[in-house]
Amino acid sequence: MKYMILTFASQQQYQEMVGHPSAQPAWTQEDWAALAAFMQAFSQELLDSGELVETRGLSAPVHTRRIQLKEGVPVVTDGPYAEAEEVLAGYWVVECDSFDRATEIAARLTSCPGPESLRARAYADVRPIDEHQPDFEG
Amino acid sequence: MIAAEIEDLLRRLAPQVLGAVVRRYGNFDLAEDATQEALLAASMQWPVVGLPDNPRAWLITVASRRLTDLLRSEHARRQREDRAGRWALTERGAARPDERAASDTDDTLVLLLLCCHPSLSRASQIALTLRAVGGLSAAEIARALLGSEQTVTRRITRAKQAIRDSGIPFALPAADEIEDRLTTVLRVLYLIFNEGYAPTAGTALIRVDLAQEAIRLARMLHAARPDDSEAAGLLALMLLIHARHRARTAADGSLIPMAEQDRSLWDQAAIDEGVALVTAALPRGPVGPYQLQAAIAAIHDEAPNPEATDWRQIAALYGVLLRLDDNPIVALNHAVAVSMVAGPQAGLELVQGLAADARVNADRRFHAVRGHLLEMAGDRAGALEAYRAGARAATNIEQQRYLNQQITRLQALPGTVP
Repeated sequence: MKYMILTFASQQQYQEMVGHPSAQPAWTQEDWAALAAFMQAFSQELLDSGELVETRGLSAPVHTRRIQLKEGVPVVTDGPYAEAEEVLAGYWVVECDSFDRATEIAARLTSCPGPESLRARAYADVRPIDEHQPDFEG
Repeated sequence: MIAAEIEDLLRRLAPQVLGAVVRRYGNFDLAEDATQEALLAASMQWPVVGLPDNPRAWLITVASRRLTDLLRSEHARRQREDRAGRWALTERGAARPDERAASDTDDTLVLLLLCCHPSLSRASQIALTLRAVGGLSAAEIARALLGSEQTVTRRITRAKQAIRDSGIPFALPAADEIEDRLTTVLRVLYLIFNEGYAPTAGTALIRVDLAQEAIRLARMLHAARPDDSEAAGLLALMLLIHARHRARTAADGSLIPMAEQDRSLWDQAAIDEGVALVTAALPRGPVGPYQLQAAIAAIHDEAPNPEATDWRQIAALYGVLLRLDDNPIVALNHAVAVSMVAGPQAGLELVQGLAADARVNADRRFHAVRGHLLEMAGDRAGALEAYRAGARAATNIEQQRYLNQQITRLQALPGTVP
């Protein structure tokens, strides 16, 4: 089964992460290096165990374009999110034996280093990917 | 022989085996599958039972046998589907498994041209080249490009179908076509190199070293076309850039600009080889963009310290490059080189000329260069504004961090108005 592990961040948190103070102080080079090292080891382990299907990190929410109908006409909005709104920041698609195993993988993200204020609020979601299941197993 | 050496040998033989099988039987798409299966069988058997006497012949025999099976089932499938069997075994005479084709390098060239056929998308060209010429499995390519194996497999399958359906023969293109076709091959190899050089996904996962792989492929191309000065130029360029790779990243993963790199970490053997290649290619001509870029890289690599860099020559070479290729990023590099010779104001004037160029005026690199030159010229307020625009435009976290560091550094200088 495939599962998607999703992480979230706001524009403010992105700003702090790239070295620009916002609601909280900017990250130091050490903060950033620790996060990068953790994420690299985390993904590498999944790659080595054969469970990683794909992983990507997304650019800051400010670079978002939203397309929606307004009075029947498609309209593009640049940067539709509020500064403090937490939106998708990155994902991993993993293929593993059970929902519990995918949850166990996602739980490792709780030891991701970072400023305490962020660690206290951060969360990850795990969702099964909607795939066709055979009606009769075996 | 250890597994890694067997792997190297198999990768080297992959295009030769595929070339030999396609020349005998046609059917590029099935021949490619059959070759992959032969390589897989070898990678499992050889580490256990040892190498056969003639590894290349062994692979050709196994791949040919497998291809015959594939053709039979393909034939059966077509008959079931009530279609005329259009295939035919095109075996030319008895295959002598020990024959050493005199045309291995030709085969490699034909394969490269086929994989980079202009009817294929860029992504397909890259995937197919890595597989059919590089001998990488779909899983390895997926890991290297940080994509999913399914996507890579689909891309390769579709590319092979396109080649089959278009009926492109397994032969060198006509003489008047070959130059254009080679230009595409060079570009694909350079893209593979850059993909390995600057991971695009932000994390530097350990993956098949694409830069090394691109160098290996460029070497094969150079061996097949030793008199082609741009093929030599591309190989030289890759070697001269890759020579600096150990000095490029700090322990914390951040990028170190060339001026601050520890030059004792540069790979002198690669520099020597690259310099020799470009020195031989340039006077032979015709001069092209890869040779010029290689010449620029060579000047950087040969400077014992940043101050000793011959910026006058670099500026002149960028000038020539710009005349060959009206590329705004080349124009930015030209401006930087000119500023090193004639001062920041001269560079700024050139950068100003790009301010209306929609290809680059919203790019972080435009703002970063402007910021750097404004700072050199003593305009700190202007530099701050440019760095801020660059940080806003950057979508890569590492590059955003770099520009924000410049802002923080400038703001900390006494007398800067934030």
